[in-house]
Amino acid sequence: MAWETYNPALASHDLVQDLKWDRQLRAAFAQNEAAILDRYDLLPEERQAIEARDFRKLYDLGMHPYLGGQLARFIWGNDAGKGAVEAANRLVASLNGTPL
Amino acid sequence: MGQIVFAAGVPHAPAVVGLFSTAPDDVKDIVAKSFDAVRRRLLASRPDVLIVFANDHLTNSRISAYPDFIIAAAPEHAGPHEWFKAWIDCRDYVVKGNPDVGKALFRGMTRRNVRMNLRTDAVNFDDNISVPTVMMELDTAPFGIVPVLQNCTVPPFPDGPRCFDVGRAVADFIRDDLPADMRVALLGSGGLSHEPGGAKYYSVDEAFDRRWLDLCLAEDQETLLREMTVPRMEAAGAGGTSELLSWFIVMGAIGERPGESFGYTGWKNFRCGFGAVIWEVG
Repeated sequence: MAWETYNPALASHDLVQDLKWDRQLRAAFAQNEAAILDRYDLLPEERQAIEARDFRKLYDLGMHPYLGGQLARFIWGNDAGKGAVEAANRLVASLNGTPL
Repeated sequence: MGQIVFAAGVPHAPAVVGLFSTAPDDVKDIVAKSFDAVRRRLLASRPDVLIVFANDHLTNSRISAYPDFIIAAAPEHAGPHEWFKAWIDCRDYVVKGNPDVGKALFRGMTRRNVRMNLRTDAVNFDDNISVPTVMMELDTAPFGIVPVLQNCTVPPFPDGPRCFDVGRAVADFIRDDLPADMRVALLGSGGLSHEPGGAKYYSVDEAFDRRWLDLCLAEDQETLLREMTVPRMEAAGAGGTSELLSWFIVMGAIGERPGESFGYTGWKNFRCGFGAVIWEVG
């Protein structure tokens, strides 16, 4: 992680925190992701990166990697040894420029 | 005049719980032996309270208003937070708290120029407190716990020298502010090398980890502080390894003491190096 690009003002950080803390928001995100993203003041390129699952771009925009890892779990799964593994694999592949 | 009767550092990697049953026997042995030793000696030290320093991991506060320390001073602590249950694959627990010591710590740190936040309501716990709690069954312990959730990952955060200063202030607080004969145990929860959410998610820096454990046992804190800088920890695993700063606080509190470790494993499925240390105190 290059902390030089870290941007604490990104709205993605609040999105991840809210998803973590609000079970109903998680369910709504799973059903209609676009509607939830509409609620946040995301930069156009930030939203595009989320929709494209482009974590390299998100990190280059300044997303904190710890919350990036959690965003991957909201997208691909959170359970130990199963969905969480897929989330980690897809995240790492995206960061390395070789999306699965 | 209170006294420190126990001091240790342990990792809290969630996979240590969730993937323990799938680990090779030699890995299981190191994990079990480490947690067993810490639990056994912790109980044998007969503490009145256990203060646990651990990375908050962005679990309780937004990045836009992120505290360096949160003292959890509720009468009891329940966990894990519901979203982390599947992640850790961890049973529910409730551990006793110690509001009086938590509030006294808040006052004591404030008087010693260490800004900490106080929470008397329920706070969220992820692997930071949950892993040591379930691996050592702290919910069956006779003493209360005061978790201090620490900013180890949202820049800028208190670095090694600052955490040593915080540890010295904690020692001063225990000695001068707590009731006579109160017995206090200290635990640093975090590490070793890992990079959660980063490109090196599956990498463990074994050379770093082994050097870290060696330095923890070396009774040479000057060298530890010189070598184990935040940039060095970040190189070993960005955004994760620096939670070893929780161990710095414990070491700052006890000074240079001999210690014991119980083996090391860098099994990659844990996505985190594993090794624990108990220091001799008292």
